[in-house]
Amino acid sequence: MTTTTAVPTPPARPRDPARRGSRPAASHAPPATRRAQARLGMLMVAPLVAVVAVFLLFPLANAVYYVFVDFNGIDVTPPWVGTANFTELAQDSDVWGAFKNNVIWIVLGTVAPLVIGLGYALLVWTVKRGSVLYRTALFLPYVLPQVAVGVVWSWIYDPTRGWLNRVLDAVGLGSLTRGWLGDPDTALYAVLGTAVWATSGFVFIIVLSALRNVDIELVEASMLDGANPAQRLRYVILPQIMPVFLMVTTITLIGGFSVFDIVFVMTGGGPAGATETLGTYAYSSAFQLNRISYGTTLALIITVMAIPFAVGLNRLQRRLSLEGTGA
Amino acid sequence: MSEHVNRTTPRRRVAIGLRHVALVALCLVMVFPLVLTVSTAFKDSKDVTTNPFGLFSSFSTENLETAWTVGHFGDYLLNSFLLTVPSTALVVVLSTMGGYVFARLPFPGRTMVFYLVILGLLVPFFAYMIPLYYQLRSMQLLDSLVGINLVLASTGLSFGTFFMRAFFSDLPQELEQAARMDGASEWKIFTRIMLPLVSSGIGALTVFTFLQNWNNFLVPLLYMPGGEYQPLTTGLYLFLGGRSVDIGPLAAGALITILPVVVLFVALQRQVTQGFLSGAVKG
Repeated sequence: MTTTTAVPTPPARPRDPARRGSRPAASHAPPATRRAQARLGMLMVAPLVAVVAVFLLFPLANAVYYVFVDFNGIDVTPPWVGTANFTELAQDSDVWGAFKNNVIWIVLGTVAPLVIGLGYALLVWTVKRGSVLYRTALFLPYVLPQVAVGVVWSWIYDPTRGWLNRVLDAVGLGSLTRGWLGDPDTALYAVLGTAVWATSGFVFIIVLSALRNVDIELVEASMLDGANPAQRLRYVILPQIMPVFLMVTTITLIGGFSVFDIVFVMTGGGPAGATETLGTYAYSSAFQLNRISYGTTLALIITVMAIPFAVGLNRLQRRLSLEGTGA
Repeated sequence: MSEHVNRTTPRRRVAIGLRHVALVALCLVMVFPLVLTVSTAFKDSKDVTTNPFGLFSSFSTENLETAWTVGHFGDYLLNSFLLTVPSTALVVVLSTMGGYVFARLPFPGRTMVFYLVILGLLVPFFAYMIPLYYQLRSMQLLDSLVGINLVLASTGLSFGTFFMRAFFSDLPQELEQAARMDGASEWKIFTRIMLPLVSSGIGALTVFTFLQNWNNFLVPLLYMPGGEYQPLTTGLYLFLGGRSVDIGPLAAGALITILPVVVLFVALQRQVTQGFLSGAVKG
């Protein structure tokens, strides 16, 4: 295995004029062929459409309906309440607390993995020996189930038996020890730390593959011109990987809106709401308090907030794959 | 790629050496929680309490046995396969066919259908997870292998279709024209000529989807309220609630949950990375 393994096949198609839009063979095919294609096409796509319609489109339409009624999970014809769910959400201080936590999560949970992942990638970039090993070790945490990650980190943070406090004691910082997940001041950051540990590898692997397209000659030339490492990064490397960097930023950012697994497993939103996010709050409203419509409204609001970023991401990705620089 | 390293001056060699030192240290930090899991899992119960921070002083499979039998991790492991294999197969088959159609077999209204299928890339599962619960309940698909498999599959179809479409769009026109001249049917062109050419894409999609479905926590948590067919992820969560004090068996449970992923990842590193990369670029 060489170091170039990470380049996927599909985006490597800068010069294929026919790929945009939906006009492949058919235009100059004879009518009989076109009819055969259409028949087979509809047949082949039917099961896909059926599954998507039943398990995505239908519940999504239902979600929009739930928002305007007050559904408790039992009532077959729930009463119409108009925008009452929205007004209540706007006045719910727990929602605002959760929102604040999400914002912290989105900012720190995006910036930290970006910086760390970029650092890893720059370190591994020109390494020849052991590159596969480094890639595996640094990317692995991202592939693991978040539940397991949460469980293991919970006992690293354990107040009495946890490694973190133990290490702090050993290096003479014993005054800093605490129950990391049980202390409202630190719980959010402790969970966030775990998430950063897990997601940095994702940024790393993407940036690393983008670095493969960076012009080494240019970097060397700037070195001869006396640019220091910071200048090289700022003026030579970063501009070249900027589209990919923006893309990975957006992906991490969007993930921050619907963060769930790791918070749910490590703290369940506690202590005293200190780690409550919009996702865990939507879950508990709907499935623990049976406030189905309320939870759905919250979940839809999360979606609506994330969509502009998703659209931006989509544009970015289209541009990337058109330029052929993608991944 | 980087031939420039060939002119190795002493100064450069030191720089490279330092880089390796830094990387090894970083890798140790990243892998440390895993080492901790493994070492705790193989301690005996006395060792766990008296020596919580060192490596195991005596190798013991006691914790693994407890997790396997008392903690039902044997069942969870089987359930994980029962929930992951069919759903992954469904995603791969339907997305491959869909990707082919959307790339090469036009029919009236195709573009609109395509956008409906792709909607899942824009709308997170979060948006409709709650109504889906009541829908599954009325379809009697809660606590059901069929139901969970279908839901897991549906969450991967948008990306899968988008992903495979990119592969099929890249294949040259001449291939199918030649085959058509020779009298091949449209279905034969798909199965005999096009499919083999996108096998690398199918491989990456398979591994990627398998991992996503294996690691999925929210879907079984929500739609398996009765607890039947619990996979490893929700099983581990239940186990955590059940015995928060008993770290040994918990570590063993975490190990059983993580191990298949680690093995798959190390063995198929290339496909996994490719899947995630394309997932980022396309998804």
